[in-house]
Amino acid sequence: MKYQNILLVAAVIALPFIVRPVIASEIWIFAIFGLGLNLLLGYTGLLSFGQSTFFGSAAYVAGWLLKHYGINVFFALGIGVGVGALSALLVGYLCVQRSGLYFIMLTFALNQLFYFVAYQWTTVTGGEDGMHGVPRPDLLGINFKDPMTYYVFISLLFLLSLWAMRRIVESPLGRILQAIRENEVRAEAVGYNVPRFKLLAFVIGGAFSGLAGVLYGMLFGIVPLEAISFVFSGNVVFATLIGGSGSLYGPIIGSFVFIWLSESVSVIWARWPLLLGVAFVIVVLFFRGGVVEAWTRLLKWHSSRQKASQSPSAP
Amino acid sequence: MALLETKSLTKSFGALTAVKDVSLSIEAGSLHSIIGPNGAGKTTLFNLLTGTFPPTSGRIFFDQKDITGTPANRIAHLGLARSFQRTNVFPAFSLLDNVWVAAFATGRSWNGLLFRKTDRYSEVMERARAALSDVGLLDKANHLAREISHGEQRQLELAIALAAAPRVLLLDEPAAGLSPEETRRMVALVRGLKGRYTIVLIEHKMDIIMSVSDRISVMHFGSLIAEGAPEEIQRNAEVRRAYLGGIAA
Repeated sequence: MKYQNILLVAAVIALPFIVRPVIASEIWIFAIFGLGLNLLLGYTGLLSFGQSTFFGSAAYVAGWLLKHYGINVFFALGIGVGVGALSALLVGYLCVQRSGLYFIMLTFALNQLFYFVAYQWTTVTGGEDGMHGVPRPDLLGINFKDPMTYYVFISLLFLLSLWAMRRIVESPLGRILQAIRENEVRAEAVGYNVPRFKLLAFVIGGAFSGLAGVLYGMLFGIVPLEAISFVFSGNVVFATLIGGSGSLYGPIIGSFVFIWLSESVSVIWARWPLLLGVAFVIVVLFFRGGVVEAWTRLLKWHSSRQKASQSPSAP
Repeated sequence: MALLETKSLTKSFGALTAVKDVSLSIEAGSLHSIIGPNGAGKTTLFNLLTGTFPPTSGRIFFDQKDITGTPANRIAHLGLARSFQRTNVFPAFSLLDNVWVAAFATGRSWNGLLFRKTDRYSEVMERARAALSDVGLLDKANHLAREISHGEQRQLELAIALAAAPRVLLLDEPAAGLSPEETRRMVALVRGLKGRYTIVLIEHKMDIIMSVSDRISVMHFGSLIAEGAPEEIQRNAEVRRAYLGGIAA
């Protein structure tokens, strides 16, 4: 087992004892959301500013079914993944027709469209008040009302998502998406239907977002309107960039930094987004690869210093 | 027998006709060069053959089948692979991954596309390594494409085309920007590929063209003005006029 895996499992075990289990749960949920975005942003080179479309849609649909039809947790998660993928298919199909700035604006505009539907459709979504009373039913006799039990469930799903995402990025698909990021024209010329592969990345990313959305709704017992807003879409991009979009683990670290800051520092200091802003500027100016790059550079610097101190110095 | 044929191929961009009424016939197994001054429409012709954009009029036949209007991403699957005039590789990929991506595209099956590890496709890997070995870059397989020299990038450019295991290779100025020494190596490489593939070659350097071609077509202002064996082209007065701007006439 690689050291990253050991670190990760250790983090999963230790986290609920460091921060409240609810915050710990939120961190892994946001990490699943980030994994989905990063397939687009880091691997395919597509900056989607509309990921909350899939997150929110899934949370609303599954939340509604949980609330009014008392469906079980697995079914709710399945619905969430399905709604996330389907909404991503719809939005992605329109977005991949364009590239660059137009692509980004399309993801954003369609996000706004979904947002206003949720805003207006108060009978279902609760509008500005959010969809209240999303239950967290027992699963196989296990009581999910207990925050710690629910945390264990969420962290297992997170590890499963990470495993699945790793399989995807190490598969031919992962390499093809990276080839598209590197050189779209050549990827097309060697025989890949580039828009279709981008769409596939969207659908997979949407499925991850949907899973995260349902878990989020069940965690807080509410689907707030923010869950489908562009602010939420921006947050996940932000978190992923801070963590490092170039690596599989970037969005996980980013999610940790982002949620931890927003939940703990915000209590002490209402201007906490200022800290995020500073972190973001530092990342953009000095560490394009985010925390992951900063860490690998530190390791390199450390080992080169050790080498230097081992070599005999001149008298 | 002609493997690749065009019939009255024309491409206009607004008022400019970049390719005008070009009818070409590329014999299977031959090395057919297309020459002409800058702006003669050679690269546009390649873009038409590889489906980058559809022709304004005219038809393209590959192996007797009409392939006019086939999009670029289907062309490689038919057995036509191209290299680009300007180096067009995957910079952050290792050389092996560069050719692997091309080899996988035209591989036997895409089973496991979403979850099987990339090194589990032995047939693809073999083809990728063979393509690198053909251009003499196998010992640098793990270097990143952006870190090798320009000359090596040109070789990689060729390897990506070879990795698709094509029937027809379309090479757009493979020796562009190479030093005399690198050019010699590239010529030897192309000569080595002769016979294994049907090759269509665009090139500016006359000495290369004359020494490797079986047949030469000359383009000028979008039209074909001459076609023949190298000796015939060398003697052709119209070709000289096109190249020397009428001074020789």
